Amino acid sequence: MNGQNEENLKELFERFAGAEQAERAVEDVRKAEQILLEYPAPAPDDGLIADIKSEIAGAILPRQVNVFRRISYKTAVVAAAAIVIAAISVRLLDIGGGRHGRATAAMIPEALWDSDDISADYAELAIFTAEIEQIESEVLTLELGENGGNGDTAVSELEMELIEIEIAGDFWKG
Amino acid sequence: MAKSDNLARIIIGCKAGSAESFSELVDIYASRFYGYFYRLTGNNEVSNDLLSELFIKLVEKISSYKGGSFESWLFKVASNIFHDYLRGKQRRKKLLEVRKKQLESRKQEVKKSDSERVDKLQIQLEKLDADMRELIMLRFYSQLKLKEIAEMRSEPIGTTLSRLHRGLKRLRELMER
Repeated sequence: MNGQNEENLKELFERFAGAEQAERAVEDVRKAEQILLEYPAPAPDDGLIADIKSEIAGAILPRQVNVFRRISYKTAVVAAAAIVIAAISVRLLDIGGGRHGRATAAMIPEALWDSDDISADYAELAIFTAEIEQIESEVLTLELGENGGNGDTAVSELEMELIEIEIAGDFWKG
Repeated sequence: MAKSDNLARIIIGCKAGSAESFSELVDIYASRFYGYFYRLTGNNEVSNDLLSELFIKLVEKISSYKGGSFESWLFKVASNIFHDYLRGKQRRKKLLEVRKKQLESRKQEVKKSDSERVDKLQIQLEKLDADMRELIMLRFYSQLKLKEIAEMRSEPIGTTLSRLHRGLKRLRELMER
């Protein structure tokens, strides 16, 4: 029985007592453990071991059924949630599709996307680009304070210009 | 190393719910734990019950074993089972009755040499205080290192060492009388 615990008892005892005392303590332990070895406890009988094994087999089965049930319940809950989410998503997509038709860049008028007249579209795109460049340059001027520091008026003018662009929807159509 | 690999394989099997793996654990540990319970209770029937309870608990708790010394973990479970047993009022009553009967029967068994030896150790063990007896049995049957036993008992190793020494010395004196 005394296998794994073959640790250095003397060293352990020496942490708390002198070398001589530690040696005596180790001797006490060894002799007493020898007595324990000489008086073995009775062994369990084979019938008991067989009973325990069949009890274990009986205990494992309901546990496996429970684990299966738990997994099934969890799977069912996840599946139900996925179905609900999918249904809601499909519904939302339907509503979104009806309202917008096709997704296009918000700044570019739909008429441009729908047109087949490439040369006319090119001209309009050139105007559109020039307009954007003009706005960019005005913003840059404002940032650099090149208008003599009258930032407020310039910003107001720019805002007015943007509002005009937005209101005049047919601006983009030429 | 091969022994610990084999044990690791068995534990994995147990965690997966294999009756065969549990059966292997029973074969490995039944004798040691039976001895442990027997030396603590001095009673065969109670030891049978506690041993069965230990292995059923093992089935229930194996998933909570997260590594480290398996024997240390299992002896902790066994020690808890023994303490639960001691706490059980009715069981304690039963134990006292059984012990009474046991002492009476012991008087009649003086001439049986083998059982006399077993009884002699058991009688002397019962003269030690319960905690000391448990410590000696834990050390002897678990084969754990003192450091592990101290950790299990949540006490400094010096305390464990000195109690073990005193207990074993006392037991030796009692046995040599």
